[in-house]
Amino acid sequence: MKANLLGKKIGFYVLIIIVWQGIDSAEIWPDNIFPSPIEVGEDLLYGISDGSLFYGIGTSMWRLVIGLSIAIGGGMLLGIFMARVETVNQTIGSLVLGLQSIPSVAWVPLAILWFGLSDSGIIFVTAIGAIFAVTINTYTGVKNIDPSFIEAARNMGAKGGQLVTTILIPAAFPYMISGFKQGWAFAWRGVIGAELLFSFLGLGFLLNVGRQLNDVSQVIAMMLVIMGIGILIDGFVFKKLEDKVMTKWGLR
Amino acid sequence: MGKIEAKNIIKYFQHDGKPLKAIGGVNLTVDDGEFVCIVGPSGCGKSTFLRILAGLEKPDDGEVLLDGKKLVNTGPDRIMVFQEGALFPWLTVEDNVEYGLKVAGIPENERHDISKRYLDMMQLSQFANSYTYQLSTGMKQRVAIARALVMDPDVLLMDEPFAALDSQTRDLLLVEMQMIWQKTKKTIIFVTHNVPEAAVLGSRVAVFSHRPSVVKKSLDIDYKRPRVAEDENLGKFEKQILAALRHQGPK
Repeated sequence: MKANLLGKKIGFYVLIIIVWQGIDSAEIWPDNIFPSPIEVGEDLLYGISDGSLFYGIGTSMWRLVIGLSIAIGGGMLLGIFMARVETVNQTIGSLVLGLQSIPSVAWVPLAILWFGLSDSGIIFVTAIGAIFAVTINTYTGVKNIDPSFIEAARNMGAKGGQLVTTILIPAAFPYMISGFKQGWAFAWRGVIGAELLFSFLGLGFLLNVGRQLNDVSQVIAMMLVIMGIGILIDGFVFKKLEDKVMTKWGLR
Repeated sequence: MGKIEAKNIIKYFQHDGKPLKAIGGVNLTVDDGEFVCIVGPSGCGKSTFLRILAGLEKPDDGEVLLDGKKLVNTGPDRIMVFQEGALFPWLTVEDNVEYGLKVAGIPENERHDISKRYLDMMQLSQFANSYTYQLSTGMKQRVAIARALVMDPDVLLMDEPFAALDSQTRDLLLVEMQMIWQKTKKTIIFVTHNVPEAAVLGSRVAVFSHRPSVVKKSLDIDYKRPRVAEDENLGKFEKQILAALRHQGPK
């Protein structure tokens, strides 16, 4: 079954490339509008050989990791406070819902004004785009904890910070994972979007360079890289983590 | 020591936005080492009363004393065994049992020694590294009991812990519960709506009235142990409990 599924997938992508090459060979559009898969492949190889691609990936990933870490740490803290302190929920909670509706790229102008064309500005956009998804999922998770878990823990002597680390976080973790997953997706969009507009290193920058040079194969090559990294992180980091947690918590 | 006294406990519930007197002045003294079962009609607030003893809820009036000292908060001197066990699904059986010890800051090797003793006692040793979703309902309640016993509480509070069990598992645990009580000499307060269960377990049975509830009758069950549910000689005690439950008077 597994081999069959893999076969289907490979077949599908091979078909896309064949159709793509077919359209290119029909020469409906000029090459500077519609490149062939071979040209895109060449651009990727070129990026690999001169190291610029790895440098771009490294820069974007580094910003992503920092931004997402800030979002996860801050989002968990905020979410737990919102769930446990009613006043925080009634005040900051309403603001969080509003802020979450702002697309991350809409923070870029503010980030440029505040931080200038710097790594900090891009990290700010990445973090702020992801933090509220983590906050809301953490809040929901903590709110949905079976009250008898908290009572049993308090009864056995847990209080304050101990209650947070030994009960609230692990009990809400299945929800938090969804928050991390959503947060990562927002952060990835945020970091690429910010790099495009800041035009300051990273994959988004390389994408923008492709546009400025009218190099359509470079643009498509970078889009493929962005998609590829997305698939890898989704499938290997978050899917694995989610599966592990769901199994361990007995939720599947 | 574990002498627990409840003095004139009163508790209101919110019902359709209006306060409803659920517990109407319960007085109950349970001596150190006594095994008292509380039975009562559903909705009489017997579980709430137990939660008040545990310090998980505050009474609207009255007080709870442990060995003469007034209790304010919840704490590991009175450990509650919840109806559904309230086991932590993210921890193994062993880690669940050791939870309270870990919170108390007891070193790891000492924790293991204590938990091993109670895992053996509850016949759970081979499941020490299992997660709770891998266990049957009966096994889960064994873990919950072991988790309570490791805390070495003065009083063990049990809230219908066997209500969800099949009758075979329940019969087995009824016998084991008596052996645990004889071995540990703990004060146990056990809430149930099951009359034969109360007759098997209790040295004394406190019958709660309809709400607002008071202790309607206190019956000593003076009979040899270990008792089993099908023992016909327990029948007369069951009849007395049932009669006390029935003579409620007007609501």
